Amino acid sequence: MVRILYIEDEGDIGSWLKNDLGERGYEVIWLQSGEGMENYLSDADIAILDVMLPGLDGFSLGKRIKKVKNDMPVLMLSARTAVEDKLEGLSFADDYLTKPFQPDELAARIEVLLRRFQKNDQVLELHHIQVHTKDLRIIDREADGEIQLTGKQYQLFQYFIRHLNQILTKEQLYEGVWGEQYMEGDKTLMVHIRYLREKLERNPSRPEIIETIRGIGYRVKI
Amino acid sequence: MKRFFRSLQAKYMAIILVALFLFQAAYLLVAMLVMGLQEDISGEKNKNESDPNHIEEKWHADAAELENSSSETIQRLFSKWKNDYPDASMFWVDEKGNVLEQLDVKGDLPANWTPAFTAKFIKERYGGDPFTVISFIGGDEKNGFIVLEIPRNLFLPPIVEVTEKYGLLLGAGLLLIISLFIIVSFLFFRGIRKRLLHLQEAMERRDMDNLPIGIDVKKNDEIGQLEQTFNEMIIELKESKQREQEEEQLRRELIANLSHDLRTPLTKINAQTYSIAKENLSPEGKQAVKALETSIVNIDRLIENLMSYTLLMASKHKQELIELDAVRFVRESMASWYPVFEKESFEVIIELEPFEEKWQADPVWLSRIFDNILQNVLRHAKDGLYLEVATESTYEYDEIIFIDHGKGLNNSSGEKGAGIGLSIIDLMVKGMKLDWEMESGVDGTAIRIRRIK
Repeated sequence: MVRILYIEDEGDIGSWLKNDLGERGYEVIWLQSGEGMENYLSDADIAILDVMLPGLDGFSLGKRIKKVKNDMPVLMLSARTAVEDKLEGLSFADDYLTKPFQPDELAARIEVLLRRFQKNDQVLELHHIQVHTKDLRIIDREADGEIQLTGKQYQLFQYFIRHLNQILTKEQLYEGVWGEQYMEGDKTLMVHIRYLREKLERNPSRPEIIETIRGIGYRVKI
Repeated sequence: MKRFFRSLQAKYMAIILVALFLFQAAYLLVAMLVMGLQEDISGEKNKNESDPNHIEEKWHADAAELENSSSETIQRLFSKWKNDYPDASMFWVDEKGNVLEQLDVKGDLPANWTPAFTAKFIKERYGGDPFTVISFIGGDEKNGFIVLEIPRNLFLPPIVEVTEKYGLLLGAGLLLIISLFIIVSFLFFRGIRKRLLHLQEAMERRDMDNLPIGIDVKKNDEIGQLEQTFNEMIIELKESKQREQEEEQLRRELIANLSHDLRTPLTKINAQTYSIAKENLSPEGKQAVKALETSIVNIDRLIENLMSYTLLMASKHKQELIELDAVRFVRESMASWYPVFEKESFEVIIELEPFEEKWQADPVWLSRIFDNILQNVLRHAKDGLYLEVATESTYEYDEIIFIDHGKGLNNSSGEKGAGIGLSIIDLMVKGMKLDWEMESGVDGTAIRIRRIK
């Protein structure tokens, strides 16, 4: 079970979110200030921090967490919406969500972070394939066999899985996977997407798993 | 007083005084030189010896004293005078007009002096050069006369003589002194000019915060004081800028806190609404919850817009222009907005062609502009269920176009609040020196964000 360390001084919001996340299957450790936070760090998988807190503020707590436990995702959840605050938050935190928020959105962001930090092994059902997120094993349920990907295909697919449901532009994909500046007109990415589709899709000319969003880019959606 | 001596004025006065003194000294020097030379020129000769009147008297006296007019006595007299006046020439004409003795006479003398020639000679020599004295021997015309000739220049004042002899040297000396004065003056003003230019240069230099840099004050004269004042001015400027920044920070902080304090209760309402929504509600209850949720989103957006608008109006909204690929930027914005339109079943058409040139823009501002446009489409043009984002390039401009098929802004969807969003678009577009245009009719709205090349 995923453990969330949640620090929020507002009683109403805190208890409501604790319940909501609890119902979604997470175990929530809710604190009203950063005091005693260190005791829970080793057990928690992800931290959700308010910014305006009594004593040390959320930014200081977040930075402290990252110092002690760098592989723990930190999500800032604050009613402070100024760009300066977001920038300060994102200088160390992995995500910044402003209040008021929809619990569905928060849950989705938590999932994205957990996947990115590979905190939980999920089995994603993408049409006819199953993807084990932790080691990125791909099982074709119809053929009942594992699909093997080459190095670049593997990296490309991993990038999609880490950014599940997100539309990724050509530039983002190329720069994320190849680590180089994308040059307009470069066909490398399209060629690799075609190879990947040939391996994953039932019918590569009518792709279901890797969608093309015309004019923008590609998306893998659950 | 100490300060006065350090001033440029005092230095300039000193140069003038020295110059005046030098000119005086030059004359003194010349005078002394002349005195020395005079000694040199006249030697032992006393003042009387170079006085023509005295010579004339003496010659007459010597002539009168001669008792006889023998050649011997005359020769003795001549050699005595020759000794005293080496430049002099003398001759003797007897009563019959014959030239009997002569000493160092230049030019030819007639052997026989007729009365007419004598008269002519006297007429010629009167007041002429050489200085000529004619005396009868023994004071009696029967013995003939003796003539003394001395070049006139021997009687010239010493200064003229000196000028003639040492003129070049004296001229050069004076020229040297004047040149020395000019050089000192030139160096003095060059020094001032150099420092003024240096000061100007220093005033033009800018620090990181775009304020001038302080100057190292080396001298305590007028320019030094100017530099000092300039440095004090910089300090005042820096303080004022810091005050301004602090105020700006305070203002931003205030607005951010206000927005935070408004949002916290809104979040609570949101939480309660969410909890109610999970209850078993009647259709009316469900509708009320839906309305509540919409209102929460609207208030949230209004708070955000109000905050931005206040900061923008006071020019306190942070802006950092960078060079960015506008098409890539709009594509990435659309990537995050697409799912929202997809959920509302919009037909989304995206036709983006790369621009040749990059845009100078603040990414935060640009994404805010796009967000406001797209939010308006989502809220006010829902009926059209159509969104097109395209690019257009001409020789004059590049533009990004957002087209919807709503009922237009004037026949809007009952949902208000587009005004402040558009005002923010306007302020931000103009703040980044871009242009924008909006056409809105019953068939829809097109917004063009344009960069003039």
